[in-house]
Amino acid sequence: MTAPGIIENVTCLGCGCACDDIGITVRDGRITEARNACALGVEWFGDGQVPARSCIDGRDVSLDEAVGEAARTLAGASRPLVYLAPDVSCETQREGAAIADMLRARLDSVTSSTVAGFVLSGQERGYASATLGEIRNRADVILFWSVDLERRYPRFTSRYAPDPIGVHVPDGRRSRTVISVDVGAAVTLAAADHRTTIDPAHELATLTALQAIVRSPDTGSATFARSPGAAWDTARDLAPMLLSGRYVALVYDAEPDERTARSPQRFDALGALGRALNERTRCAAIALRGGGNRSGADSVLTSQTGYPMTVNFGRGYPRYGPHDGLAAAARDGNRSDVALVVGNVAALPSAVSTAWSRVHTVTIGPRASESPLGDRTITIDTGMDGIHTGGTAFRTDDVPLPLRAVMAGFPSAVDTVRSIASLVRRMTR
Amino acid sequence: MTPLRIAGGRVYDPANGIDGDVRDICIDDGRIVADVPSSAPRLDARGMVVMPGGVDMHCHVASGSVNVARRLLPEDHAQHPALAPVLDDLATIPRSGSAGLVPTTFTTGYRYAGLGYTTVFDAAVAPLMARSAHAQLDDTPIVDGGFFVLLGNDDYLLRQIDAGERERAREYAAWLLGASGAYAIKAVNPGGIELWKRGSRERTELDQALGSSRVTPRAILETLADSAIALGLPHPLHIHCNNLGLPDNASTTLATMAALEGRRAHFTHLQFHSYGTSGDGAWRSAAREVIEYVNAHPSLSGDVGQVMLGPAVTLTADAPVEYLLHRSSGRKWANVDIELETGCGVVPHEYKERNAVAALQWAIGLELFLLSSDPWRVVLSTDHPNGGSFMSYPALIRLLMDRAHRDEQIKRVEPKLLAGSTLADGIAREYTLGEIAIITRAGPAKLLGLRDKGHLGVGADADVTVYVPDADAEKMFATTRYVVKGGTLVVEEGQLRRAPAGRRLHVRPSFDAAVTADIEHHFNQYSTVRFANYPVGDLRDASVPLAPSGAR
Repeated sequence: MTAPGIIENVTCLGCGCACDDIGITVRDGRITEARNACALGVEWFGDGQVPARSCIDGRDVSLDEAVGEAARTLAGASRPLVYLAPDVSCETQREGAAIADMLRARLDSVTSSTVAGFVLSGQERGYASATLGEIRNRADVILFWSVDLERRYPRFTSRYAPDPIGVHVPDGRRSRTVISVDVGAAVTLAAADHRTTIDPAHELATLTALQAIVRSPDTGSATFARSPGAAWDTARDLAPMLLSGRYVALVYDAEPDERTARSPQRFDALGALGRALNERTRCAAIALRGGGNRSGADSVLTSQTGYPMTVNFGRGYPRYGPHDGLAAAARDGNRSDVALVVGNVAALPSAVSTAWSRVHTVTIGPRASESPLGDRTITIDTGMDGIHTGGTAFRTDDVPLPLRAVMAGFPSAVDTVRSIASLVRRMTR
Repeated sequence: MTPLRIAGGRVYDPANGIDGDVRDICIDDGRIVADVPSSAPRLDARGMVVMPGGVDMHCHVASGSVNVARRLLPEDHAQHPALAPVLDDLATIPRSGSAGLVPTTFTTGYRYAGLGYTTVFDAAVAPLMARSAHAQLDDTPIVDGGFFVLLGNDDYLLRQIDAGERERAREYAAWLLGASGAYAIKAVNPGGIELWKRGSRERTELDQALGSSRVTPRAILETLADSAIALGLPHPLHIHCNNLGLPDNASTTLATMAALEGRRAHFTHLQFHSYGTSGDGAWRSAAREVIEYVNAHPSLSGDVGQVMLGPAVTLTADAPVEYLLHRSSGRKWANVDIELETGCGVVPHEYKERNAVAALQWAIGLELFLLSSDPWRVVLSTDHPNGGSFMSYPALIRLLMDRAHRDEQIKRVEPKLLAGSTLADGIAREYTLGEIAIITRAGPAKLLGLRDKGHLGVGADADVTVYVPDADAEKMFATTRYVVKGGTLVVEEGQLRRAPAGRRLHVRPSFDAAVTADIEHHFNQYSTVRFANYPVGDLRDASVPLAPSGAR
């Protein structure tokens, strides 16, 4: 029985885990509790109070005026960019993509500045993966490869693995072997059964050595026993544990490591290890993403354009220009004359948001008025998808989840972007 | 909506016994009507061929796994860009995309309409991913669409079978169809995907136990086939048999058909399930055995799953098949195990005419078509994109209608490779226009239980295609002169002009509410998604009415 003022089964977008079991209490127009939420979730929900201004160059105007000016600015742009920031629903993302297509703009999201290496590796080589519930219900050996679970994905261990019971792991944690490998200084999981720290310079070599042992029909061969060096030492320790699993989960973080310089080739190596393990047993490699429906943007772009990020409609059809995110973002500022940014600007990497300091920007999203981006700005504050507006968002494993509106009273991002899209259609036909 | 008269065309409406008569087709308010005022707008269809809009009953165009394939193949998209059409309607935003082996959503709708298709079903959606399928169908304009939901490896279903709770299994299927907004029940490699997740690399036999001896592929198929019938679903169980693509799998296919004796059941992409072996272990065609069985058993239907020589993308819930293809071809491989339900695998592929297996696959599909005795029960498909793109349907139609052309193509294939296939002996049959209308429209609509589609009788949905006849059937079917969808003229003088949204075709069977408590208990124990968040909720379009139980 639910007490009045509590909305159950709310989806949190604080990180890519997208827990959908949050109970939100709203009292006197404020969120006062987010039951089950971790620290990231509590911060993501906040108190639900957001500004509701529409501004042109910092001057308050009506919503209609801002929408009209936004459409005119975009329709008149010669090198427009549409950028999907975090914290908008798939429905909102789709409206942004439609505008980019109409304007023959570039279309991109925070994916390219954070996980481009992971995306490209998967496209070039494929991947063997699973949804998170498969890890929960089957994985008897879990290798956490340098994931800062406590800070970035706090409820992963209690919701997905290794703690919960599963269909094929009925004793939960006791049914599983948990291995934690830290690359450099990162702390993965103190409560692992086996913990190892490796030098970042040995990351690729270790993964490659592991792959070699796993692929070999004779894993106890003298060749491997003799191979010297720290990478082989680690691989020799880990391989038997991995090969003993009925269903091995390799869990890693696709997002950048802020503490340790890592090789961009690690995604290829992790993917290759996952494929190699599938020759001997079953394995799923799971990439964790940050919050705010990042996977949703990838999915919307993929289904509508064929490409998950870095789309250029300049010739009237989508072209793919994958790049190394941050470097390109710096160039972006010189490549665009107008940028439409949809989403939560505060969630952007600073290298991205500062790239538009000389661009005429239109920002639609929560707290847009608080972080005007360019040298000329139109900002329209909206509510937050998942707090003030419903819709759909994707978990890090591409499972689509419903978003709920727990509070009303703020303009919605999807309606605002759609209004701009309708006007742009009329102006550009 | 304005009335319209399509005047003077040669009409092929096999469901109503019309086979090339010259007559007018009248449309008003989105439906076929007996007559319209003489002042009504008129399309001059004299000398042209008029058919109901095409119905594709098995393709992969709008699901999570289709998106896995799109994402895996940027190199294919780059070779097939698609400009946005110029549309008359200001309320619709025309969209660009990619038109290759796995087209993007908007382009898919435009291209199907351009071929004269007006109804399309995605054949395999995991219930957990249903929201994604609906979103992609929302972005697939013009065509009415729906999907089949995967149940053949469902954890909760298998538990009910284990417990002998066939009735509760049926109630679960009913609940799940509504919760996911699906049209029909699909079984892919029943039990076999679960075994793959458990580490099996063996063939899956019909009576193989999944842990418990009560849970076998046979038991899964019987349970689901009976459920579809008992629930009065418009389409029977849609079956992708065990051991797809494996040598000598025809014995599995025939055993599966025999297991469902007397029940309505649809066997999909039969070509991939019609392989035999000759004495020395070489591959041979078993198309004759399979099609003769289907011919002799009127409760069975199938679609062919023709292979078209050239590039393709294999994309299926049958994850173990994709692993094997990856290992044998070396092409890149994507796999996603989907919790508690099913799987998905993608491997790009090429059917090379010089390759023994590909050539035989191509021949087997044609044999199935040419030896089929009832076009109402064996319909056209390529299992897009697995056997080839839906854009190749016109080329396939030409192979069926034009023996001389077909024989030319057969000559290009190494004759030794066709040994064992009846095609090598020469099959004279040529499909008539009326038969093509059956296997691409009237037949699929009937098999799907779509009462208002696939025909041009009064009351039918006003989905009409007008082709310009040509001795080259591929040319004739590759472009349309006019296409009307739901009464709106969407293709005019060969150009796409309007792209209204299509309708969602789905069923919502009633179920015993008492069963949801047990389903919810299962969710609470094992699911990572809350029970309350699982159903997709009300869809914009009303559900399709169901027959009283057992009436079909």
